Amino acid sequence: MIKILAYGILLFWLLAVVLGRLFQLDPNQIDLNAILSTPSQVYWLGNDDLGRSILARLLHGVEVSLLVALSVTAVTMTVGVLIGMLAGFYGGRVDQFLMQVTDVFLAFPGILLAIAFAAVLGPGLLNLMIALSLTGWVSYARLTRGQTLSLRDRQHVLAALSLGASVPRLLGKHILPLLTSVLVVEATYSLASVMIAEASLSFLGLGIQAPNASWGAMLRDGVRYMLVAPHYVLIVGLSLMSLILAINLGGDSLRDRLDVRQEAD
Amino acid sequence: MLLHYRLLSGLLLCSILTLTACKPPSSPSDSINKASTSPEIVFAISQAPLNLDPRYASDATSERLNRLLYQSLVDFDHHTKPQPNLATWQQLSPLSYRFTLSEQCRLFYYPASAEHKAKARKLTAYDVKATYDSITALSDSPHSAEFSNLKNIVVVNERTVLFYLKAPDRHFPAKLVLGILPAELVKVKHDFAHFPVGSGPLVLLEAKNKWGLQRLDDGQRISLIEVKDPTVRMLKLVHAEVDLIQGDLPPESVRYLQAKPGLTVKTAVGVNFSYLGLNTQDPQLKKLKVRQALAHAIDRQEIINKVMLQHSRLGGAILPPEHYAQRQTLPAYAYDPALAKRLLQQAGVSLPLKLVYKTSTDAQRLRLATIMQAQMRAAGIDLEIRSLDWATFFAEIKQGNFQLYGLTWVGVKTPEIYAQAFGSDNIPPKGFNRGRYQDAELDKLLSTDDWQAVTQRIHQQLPYIPLWYEGQFAAMQKGIENYSPKADGNWDDLATISAYAH
Repeated sequence: MIKILAYGILLFWLLAVVLGRLFQLDPNQIDLNAILSTPSQVYWLGNDDLGRSILARLLHGVEVSLLVALSVTAVTMTVGVLIGMLAGFYGGRVDQFLMQVTDVFLAFPGILLAIAFAAVLGPGLLNLMIALSLTGWVSYARLTRGQTLSLRDRQHVLAALSLGASVPRLLGKHILPLLTSVLVVEATYSLASVMIAEASLSFLGLGIQAPNASWGAMLRDGVRYMLVAPHYVLIVGLSLMSLILAINLGGDSLRDRLDVRQEAD
Repeated sequence: MLLHYRLLSGLLLCSILTLTACKPPSSPSDSINKASTSPEIVFAISQAPLNLDPRYASDATSERLNRLLYQSLVDFDHHTKPQPNLATWQQLSPLSYRFTLSEQCRLFYYPASAEHKAKARKLTAYDVKATYDSITALSDSPHSAEFSNLKNIVVVNERTVLFYLKAPDRHFPAKLVLGILPAELVKVKHDFAHFPVGSGPLVLLEAKNKWGLQRLDDGQRISLIEVKDPTVRMLKLVHAEVDLIQGDLPPESVRYLQAKPGLTVKTAVGVNFSYLGLNTQDPQLKKLKVRQALAHAIDRQEIINKVMLQHSRLGGAILPPEHYAQRQTLPAYAYDPALAKRLLQQAGVSLPLKLVYKTSTDAQRLRLATIMQAQMRAAGIDLEIRSLDWATFFAEIKQGNFQLYGLTWVGVKTPEIYAQAFGSDNIPPKGFNRGRYQDAELDKLLSTDDWQAVTQRIHQQLPYIPLWYEGQFAAMQKGIENYSPKADGNWDDLATISAYAH
């Protein structure tokens, strides 16, 4: 039941993005006569503090959120997996060095480090993605290293090595495919955490810049008018919560599906 | 036994009467120990005072509070003309002024410490000299530069002091608005920033979690508490945790408070001037027609009507129309995007004209910038908004690293501002000509003190785009009386505010 709900919410938001594109809703259309208006027939979810349609901005915001989440996850996964595999496969000094670097990044809270990077790089979409990528690869590196350490002594890897397979081939053809299920599950959790981080940075004014829509910035504006127009903050807050919850539940379901031990039970 | 009690009570009564008779009736020590019958008034402020030493204070909160803790020689009337406060003055020559302290008894109040009882003494000309001598001697005071023209100060007697200048300065009295400090404490480098000792109507008793003040006249206690978040500030007022808030709320929130039956909201016109700064060295913005196009591309009245406080009004010049040096209302540039587009085309600009607008991260500033961005689009101007944290933003403005920016002049009192903001030789760090505006004709007018001609020239040449004077408001519980917001946002009415218990 929960699984269906999670997939339903995800499907709903993906459809909403597509429909938003189709109907060409303008998230930046200002209407000073409709400032903080409650939902109506014209504006289904009401208006923000500049009279812009909350629905149009939500749809644009989720598009940006998904773009950031997918891009950052792709970059961090690639970097993290590469570092983790090299450390796990070679071991010794290479492992020691790479894991020490990883530990340095792990020592700082990820979001705090992202805030520091975003503050140094300046606000903006690209800088936001760079800031989140700089801190997001660590969990992939640790996970991959652990898995690679246990996989490198498997019979098929040793056989390939004795037949003269190169290191890239060994890693790409014989180890990486065995990591896929673990990495996919990790990626779903990472998607959710990147979306929260993006919203947090935008909430602090370090993310997407005005007039572009972002859920974090909308949440910040909504809080400002919490007493005057509670519908604004509630709509944005519930949207963010539902999407994050759906991604996490989706990740749980995927983990259960890919868990070999559970299947054996 | 009963006789002993009667004798003891009689002696005690005599002692009290004798002691009371020794003290002067107006002594602040009496008032400070007097328990006020009215309840404490709690005032929620958005920013804590940073420095209560008037020689160092530069933030708005400290300056507002210092006006109540200290007294100055000079203040301003409702036309912003300098007027006697503690002293009257006479210009003896272009280089000398005589200030005579009023006969009205002014007392410094020294709060009681563990070792010493509270005491008070009269403010004299020696205190005036000590205060201004110390300011000129300080190298790290933001106010020192204003007094660089001061040659020396001579005390004639306890009530008379002479100020000698290095060069003539017609506006010199208007600069003597800093609070006067007691000479003996200046000498021992007392920490006025945390333990202020002044002769103002209020005295600071506590500065730990809150700023506890007491009025010397009647013992009324007033507490200032810092509540940074505007929504929390508003909630505290609605739930009667605080009695008073002032400024720093969006107009929608002010309207929300106006509708609350237990609250009173008072609004007033403001004098703080908001403007759109232009870099006149920019290849496009140095053209007058482009600047005129920008002025015609913003619908100021619509913005005022829809997203600003009641009593906000169109701005024409830095000084408001009621200022003694202004006394004229300049015609506003009408919103006409078609005309703006034509002007741009006449200036040889290929449309859309791309401009970058820098502003702080303040939510209301960003909101206004976004509206202007939308309005300018209709005139063929593509405005890119860049919001920066305050320190970075202000540093870039001072360095001239901008095309357009939005700022507000706060607390400007004298017409000297026109020379400082637009004089050709007043480019930062020397002055405030941040737009690097060069105009020989204006420089000539600035030297004549013909302020009406100066403002007309500025209005015509548009080295900045005038926007508005934002209105002021204060919201308070129904039981609060004798408090109104002031045009420059000061808190002077804390000297008269009263509260009655429900």
